[in-house]
Amino acid sequence: MRRTYLGEFEEVVLLMVAILDGEAYGVTVSQALEEHTGRVVTFGTVHNTLIRLEEKGFVGSELGGATNERGGRRKRLFHVTALGNRALQEIQQLRQQLWQLLPPTKLQLNSL
Amino acid sequence: MKTNELHPPQWANRLLRWLHPEDTLEEVEGDLEELYAYWHERAGKRQATWRYLLNVASVLPPFVRRRERKQAYNNPFLIQPSMLRNYFTIAFRTLAHNKVYSSINVIGLSIGLAAAMLIMLYTKDEVSFDRFHANNPHIYRITSKQFTPAGVFQSYNTHTGYLQGPKFAAGVPEIKMSVRYQSDRSDIKVGTEVKSFESFHADSSFFALFSFPLISGNPATALKEPKSVVLSEEMAEKQFGTTNALGKILLVRNSNGDSKEFEPYTVTGIAKKCPQNSSIKFDFLFPYVVSKEDMANGGNWFNFFQNTFVVLQPNANLKKVEATMNRVFQKDAKQALEEEVKRFGPQSKTEYMLQAFTDMHLNKDMPAQNGLVDGSNPMFSYILSGIALFILLIACINFVNLTVARSLKRAKEIGVRKVVGGGRGQLMMQFLGESFILCFLAFGFALLLVQMVLPTFNELSNKALAFSYLFDAQLVAGYIALFLATGLLAGFYPALVLSNYNPVQTLYSRFNLSGKNYLQKGLVVLQFALASFLIIATLTIYSQFNYLTNKDLGYNDKGVITVGKSGLNRNETKVFKDELLKNQNIQEVAPKNGGNWYTIAKVNGQTEINFAYETVDATYFSLLQIPIIKGRNFSAEFNSDSTSSVLVNESFVKKAGWTNPLGQVVDFWYNEGEKYKVIGVIKDYHFESLNSEIKPQLFTMKPGNQYGKVFIKIKEGSETASLNHLAKTYKKLFPTNPYEYKFMDEENEKRYESEAKWKQIMLFGAILTIFISCIGLFGLATLSAERRTKEIGIRKVLGASVASITTLLSADFLKLVSLSFVFAFPVAYYAIKQWLENYPYRIDISVWTFVIAAALSILIAFFTVSFQSIKAALGNPVKSLKSE
Repeated sequence: MRRTYLGEFEEVVLLMVAILDGEAYGVTVSQALEEHTGRVVTFGTVHNTLIRLEEKGFVGSELGGATNERGGRRKRLFHVTALGNRALQEIQQLRQQLWQLLPPTKLQLNSL
Repeated sequence: MKTNELHPPQWANRLLRWLHPEDTLEEVEGDLEELYAYWHERAGKRQATWRYLLNVASVLPPFVRRRERKQAYNNPFLIQPSMLRNYFTIAFRTLAHNKVYSSINVIGLSIGLAAAMLIMLYTKDEVSFDRFHANNPHIYRITSKQFTPAGVFQSYNTHTGYLQGPKFAAGVPEIKMSVRYQSDRSDIKVGTEVKSFESFHADSSFFALFSFPLISGNPATALKEPKSVVLSEEMAEKQFGTTNALGKILLVRNSNGDSKEFEPYTVTGIAKKCPQNSSIKFDFLFPYVVSKEDMANGGNWFNFFQNTFVVLQPNANLKKVEATMNRVFQKDAKQALEEEVKRFGPQSKTEYMLQAFTDMHLNKDMPAQNGLVDGSNPMFSYILSGIALFILLIACINFVNLTVARSLKRAKEIGVRKVVGGGRGQLMMQFLGESFILCFLAFGFALLLVQMVLPTFNELSNKALAFSYLFDAQLVAGYIALFLATGLLAGFYPALVLSNYNPVQTLYSRFNLSGKNYLQKGLVVLQFALASFLIIATLTIYSQFNYLTNKDLGYNDKGVITVGKSGLNRNETKVFKDELLKNQNIQEVAPKNGGNWYTIAKVNGQTEINFAYETVDATYFSLLQIPIIKGRNFSAEFNSDSTSSVLVNESFVKKAGWTNPLGQVVDFWYNEGEKYKVIGVIKDYHFESLNSEIKPQLFTMKPGNQYGKVFIKIKEGSETASLNHLAKTYKKLFPTNPYEYKFMDEENEKRYESEAKWKQIMLFGAILTIFISCIGLFGLATLSAERRTKEIGIRKVLGASVASITTLLSADFLKLVSLSFVFAFPVAYYAIKQWLENYPYRIDISVWTFVIAAALSILIAFFTVSFQSIKAALGNPVKSLKSE
């Protein structure tokens, strides 16, 4: 199967969606990003990335119920799909393999 | 915290709502509001607002990503190869099945397209006139406006003289160079034979200013030496039998030269044939020779007889150049102007202008004339385009009408297509495609047609267009556009209508198309309105033409031959006359001045009057049988007649306001003491063409005026003998003059060539229009009869006669044709009234024209329709009722 390419920022956002576990929507993803990585990005970037991820099939979404907050506007809640899950795991595995191939001296030199 | 403090700026919100894609708007708006509250809490209002604005901007186009819409079902790609193949199969099958319908459409469309193509070719040629010169758009012609001494605009003058070109070129820095271009006639002697040709004189910068390539010879020096000549390719071939004629000698006598002898001229250049779309066309081009005295004579500022062209610097300001020109004129001609005023009284004022060279061809006020050829009336292009458009429009109407009317038969096909999933777009594409296939066929035929009729068209339009002209990038683009436009125009409406049918209706119940059909009826009315308009126009042009050619001119031109001989003096005239009259076939001989002279004189002491100035002798009136209504003719008994008496025509009397014309004095005040007494008045006759009113005319025998041609009246039926004698006598007496004779009645006919052309063009236009309208009507009648076969069958069974059924079927169409007159007649009346206003002598618009046109249209329509109606009425009812 052809692997869909996952960009660095996409990967981070996908991870955030996984971390937030059912509570992921535009605001929480942006806030988590800021909190955990210190990156301040515009809302449009997050929004577009989420849509792109959905188009690629890594996340799914549905509109949540109406609440009294935010003027009664519904949230679009995202969850990681099976495909997204596998993609994250594959990335993780690949990284691990690569880390193991790295000579230990090299790593020490770099960390210095 | 107040709630309203938590609200982000409203305008940004509005912007978001306005520009953000609708399907993600709700959640984005909510998210942003929540984020605003978050920032507000953490960083204060100011920070929050800034960040809010930034983030709103990040979700506006073009940054925003649109959510892919979920499709309910999978739409197949519109253009599938197998589907296309099916379209073609169906298209050809339908075309082959309905031969009448297909051929009507193809024939109509191809005639329409051919007409449109020809007109495009024509207009392309018209607008490209004179554009091939490399110096364009900086070439101008020197023209002027004439004002009366009081300053009222009088007329445009396209002519100039010796001085304007060189003086302006010297006095105006923006003028790069000037060329004077004068037409002339030259006699060429080959062996003992003398022939007269039109020739031109031009300054040596001619080939630098204009782009006429030379095959041989040096363009810079070709016109430098006074005794040199540049020939056209064709003329060189004619004179020397080869285009390689550089340096050869030609024996020439120019009419404006002083010498009567032929002089040798050296060929210094051979020019390529002048393009068809050029106002300047020359066969002989001589250097421009002016004497020093003429250039020094300021009076020559007021001698206008030729065209002068200039080239301006590319960045020159036209208004400024014109102003400088007028300053140069006022300064240089000051003395001459004063002299003129002293001699002739207050003079009309002249204001010089520049006319773009490319503007001449289609200009009515300042036309290409005096040696410039093929000046054209833009009206001609408009009318031709109008007719072509009519024809094409009618052909398209046929297409629309027939396709929609015939769709009943295809309703089932459309229904089935829709049921198995054909979308509207696909159906539209199918029907548009079919119309394009038909259009393509028609296009091919149209090209053939154009090639076939091009020679005739050239003759009518006075052009030399060749089929190869079609292969020009612009024209090809134009034709492709024409093709697409026609295909769309003809196919769009049917495609729209047919694809709109409801499949359930077409398949389940008897589908009924016989609604009101206003569109179809309206189109038929429009067609026949156009056709009857053209019929009326044709009839009017025909009767006006007949009127012009048959109107009594006031003199008898039958059996009158004219022969030209420039500078014919009194002695020569007498000898020539005596010699001619020796032959008994020749009845009378009368000399007259050559060309048309116009001059001015005073009557009643003060009044100036313009008139045609004719130098004749006593025989002129009797030869042409022009009656003298008052007074007497010139007579040998009165010696003073030749020096002090004149005859005038009725218009002259009227213009002068005389009640008793005899004995009145005409004063040529500018020549000291030149006064004449009127001894007789002749009846007005049309000495010019009937396109202009009869002008005042004065006849004199003044010995100082030379004759230029001779009228010879011969006995009826003696043409060969008389001409033989005439030719012999002429060659004996004037061996060095070109001999050319003309029959006066033939010449008079030739004056109406342009009307004759109009006549033919209108006739063609009308016939084509009627023809296409009729085949369209025929097609409609066929379909209507087919649709009503059952009805006709039942009527027949119940006892209807053939006549009554024919009437029933025809009446509908005839009503429409009659309705079309309501629209056509007022427009036609207005149009022909306008056209006839151009003629001072014209027919009255008669009711009969309209009656005949109406009768003709109805009759033609009736024959067209009744053919089908009768066929349907004669059909066996058993057959039509049995089949289901």
